[in-house]
Amino acid sequence: MKIIVLLKRVPDSEAKILINKEGTGIREDGVKFVINTYDEYAIEEGLLMKEKVGGDSKVTVVCMGPDEATEAIRTALAMGADDAVHIADDSLSNPGPFTTATIMAKAIGDEEFDIIFCGKQAIDDDMAQVHCILAEMLDIPQVSVAIAFELSDDTTKATVSRRIEGGDEKIDTSLPVIVSCDKGLNDPRYASLPGIMKAKKKEIRKKSLADLGFSEIPGGGRSRILKWLPLPKGGECRMVEAEETPDAVRELVRLLREEAKVI
Amino acid sequence: MTADGIALLVILLGVLSAFAFVLRLLVRSLKLGKPEDRFDRWGERIWSVIVYVGAQARVLTQLAGLGHFIIFYGFVFISLGTFEHIGGMISPGFSYASIFGAKIAGMISWVQDVLGLLVLGAIIVSLFRRFVLKPLRLQIDDPKAKKEAVFILCLIFVLILLMFGMKGAGILMDPPKVDRAYAPVSAVVAGLIDGKADPHILERVFAWIHHVIIFYFLIFIPFSKHIHILGAVPNIFFRNLGPGGTLSRMDFEDESAEKFGNSEVRDFTWKQLLDLYACTECGRCQAVCPAYLTEKPLSPFRVIHMMRGHFVGDRQKLLEGGEEAEATPIIGKTVTEDEIWACTTCGACMQECPPFIEHVQKIVDMRRYLVMTESSFPHEMQPVFRNMEVNYNPWSMGFSTRADWAEGLDVPVAAEKQEFDVLFWVGCSGSFDTSGQSVARAMVEILKRAEVDFAILGVEEMCCGETARRMGNEYLAQTLIEANIENLNKYRFNRILTTCPHGFNTFSVEYPQFGYEKTVVHHSQFLLELAAAGKLAGTGNGSKGVYHDSCYLGRYNGIIDEPRELIKRSGAGELAEFGRRGKRSFCCGAGGGRMWMEETIGKRINEERVDEALALGVDTIYTACPFCMTMFEDGLKARDKEEEVKVKDIAEIF
Repeated sequence: MKIIVLLKRVPDSEAKILINKEGTGIREDGVKFVINTYDEYAIEEGLLMKEKVGGDSKVTVVCMGPDEATEAIRTALAMGADDAVHIADDSLSNPGPFTTATIMAKAIGDEEFDIIFCGKQAIDDDMAQVHCILAEMLDIPQVSVAIAFELSDDTTKATVSRRIEGGDEKIDTSLPVIVSCDKGLNDPRYASLPGIMKAKKKEIRKKSLADLGFSEIPGGGRSRILKWLPLPKGGECRMVEAEETPDAVRELVRLLREEAKVI
Repeated sequence: MTADGIALLVILLGVLSAFAFVLRLLVRSLKLGKPEDRFDRWGERIWSVIVYVGAQARVLTQLAGLGHFIIFYGFVFISLGTFEHIGGMISPGFSYASIFGAKIAGMISWVQDVLGLLVLGAIIVSLFRRFVLKPLRLQIDDPKAKKEAVFILCLIFVLILLMFGMKGAGILMDPPKVDRAYAPVSAVVAGLIDGKADPHILERVFAWIHHVIIFYFLIFIPFSKHIHILGAVPNIFFRNLGPGGTLSRMDFEDESAEKFGNSEVRDFTWKQLLDLYACTECGRCQAVCPAYLTEKPLSPFRVIHMMRGHFVGDRQKLLEGGEEAEATPIIGKTVTEDEIWACTTCGACMQECPPFIEHVQKIVDMRRYLVMTESSFPHEMQPVFRNMEVNYNPWSMGFSTRADWAEGLDVPVAAEKQEFDVLFWVGCSGSFDTSGQSVARAMVEILKRAEVDFAILGVEEMCCGETARRMGNEYLAQTLIEANIENLNKYRFNRILTTCPHGFNTFSVEYPQFGYEKTVVHHSQFLLELAAAGKLAGTGNGSKGVYHDSCYLGRYNGIIDEPRELIKRSGAGELAEFGRRGKRSFCCGAGGGRMWMEETIGKRINEERVDEALALGVDTIYTACPFCMTMFEDGLKARDKEEEVKVKDIAEIF
């Protein structure tokens, strides 16, 4: 079984995010980058399926990102992925989801695969679109926000559960399929040290846009990021305190009328 | 030579060669272990044997140890008698009297008699303890252990009776073989058996039974807990003379290695294996173990007992099979994962152990295997490792916010100052934990008031690696240690000042393993220096307090008086003392990474300690460790006493 896992390198969720002066992205100094949290579930699910099916099963990581994304790819390889495709091109900065999907579709098209696992969204831009567009481009079914994945014994079908309001929805799907993964699907493993050592020697196939046959950035005309803006500074919060609730309400009304002048 | 002399000689030679064979097996089995250098400082090693074997210094720290002392010296002197008797049977005419003269021989005989009587008494007390008193330290879930102990005690009891029988009959022999004047107890026995049978025959019968039991004992010893007779002396000789709180440094050079840490016999060093042969099963370790005392599955006694059984069971196969032999895994059945993770690395077990067994390193070695090779550990540890890797602290706090606590305090930063006297190592707790931050701020205020030339590393500071190391993640620990050393080497300063005993310990005794040596001072020492120089004045604190010794400050580093002196100088009221204090303090429950693990089995260690403090009726608990502080705060909350009793770091009382 051939499994592909899509991976994105994102700022650590604890990092202090500041927009750069030009408004073209974030300031990277003082920011640590990690594997997108939801992609970890995707890696783990890929590894679980590989272990389950056995034989010459293989997990290939596909990542689009700057050269520094190698570190995140190595972490995935240390967890147990077999090899990786790293799409890196200096001309790519903040590509939109359509662009990303187009490039990835080309890269994935060159690989064999039965299942593609990816995170349900990236925790940086929260677009949650790439896998949907990718499914269309590759013309395969997609199931999003999976919390359980069950492969049929003959490995031709899968049952995927997704959490919806008030219950779970179970979907039967044929393979190949693209599944986006949510928290709860599994417990991503901690890379063992032999795993880390082995990962240093695993193959990462680096590809530029030209290698993938693109002469220019595809899909740029669909949507563009114009500018990144910091959040407006929030106003101050004041607590209205009083022993009796009605007094507090009276005081609040007075403040809204006399100070805030909104009523 | 008489006929029975010849028979005895033949049997003796057989027994001695069997014993030599067993000894060879024991030595060869130790060689299954990895190398470890314990061959330095011979003078100190010999002195250790004199103090801890000869004078039984650690055995005698408890009253029950007196029993061991008596049995030990009884064994020595009675063996002298056995040697003399066997010698006499083989070569008639051989006796101490003929060699050293009647006086010295008589004295030996007298000591034998007196000690023999005392040994009988000691054995009765020992059996009484095992069957009636049943002290906590002798509890073990392996019924074999108790049976063996009782069997050996009974055997020694019979041996002593036989000795008195032999000597009593000897007194009655014509000419007397034993001088009545030098054998007060045997003389009484002689009176009892006088006229019952021919003393010559009686003496021979007693002697034969006695000697056969001794021979049996000699062969039985190496296969019982009494192997400690053979193991304890070399174990004390080869004991760790360095600081107790150091873990071994692992080598990660071999990138093709498939395994890191210890999971089977051959992964341990020969000294760690010798530890197993040295255990006397006295159980003192478990009686002080915070995990055992709060109903966790861990007992250091049980770990060593089970590991020895495992080692004995596996050694033959491993010796015969050579390097290819498949070893039985230790983790799982012999020592469970729950046991391995229950340890706080507090070292109380090692502090008590009479033959100086080193429990903590073994447990950490097994943690190393579980973490680095198997990736198998309590689930709550994974985010901790992740946080340390990504943000260099165990909490999930961005590394760039490490110095946020110092905002507005105008704290000098190393990168700006370059050269200064004292590097104040704030630590993860001081940087991120609310209580820790208030200690850090108090320290800064003191340092400024005392005009100390200091700086902090600020955002360049990373977790010191102590916790990761004790959690078994040596790889992560070394990554942090090396990164810290690189940053520290950028600046010129004289001393590192820490408010955390864990950082203090790791900088003092573990960073040198990585080539970084610097004077490290804990704030209890540093503040006392300032106070002595008149740069620190107390403001007066709670009416009745108690100081809790942190394991890594008191037990591991002997810093016991300084914090107490400091509290007194602060103008604090009455200072009570815990029953368990100083080197024998009781862990707060947070060491060894337990701070970040859930405590789901048994009682909570911190609540146990808080109850101890509450029983003293104090209004203030003084700590000198951020982990202890957190544990006490949580324990007080659990007991609903956080309003009445305050927890204060020693930096917060000036």
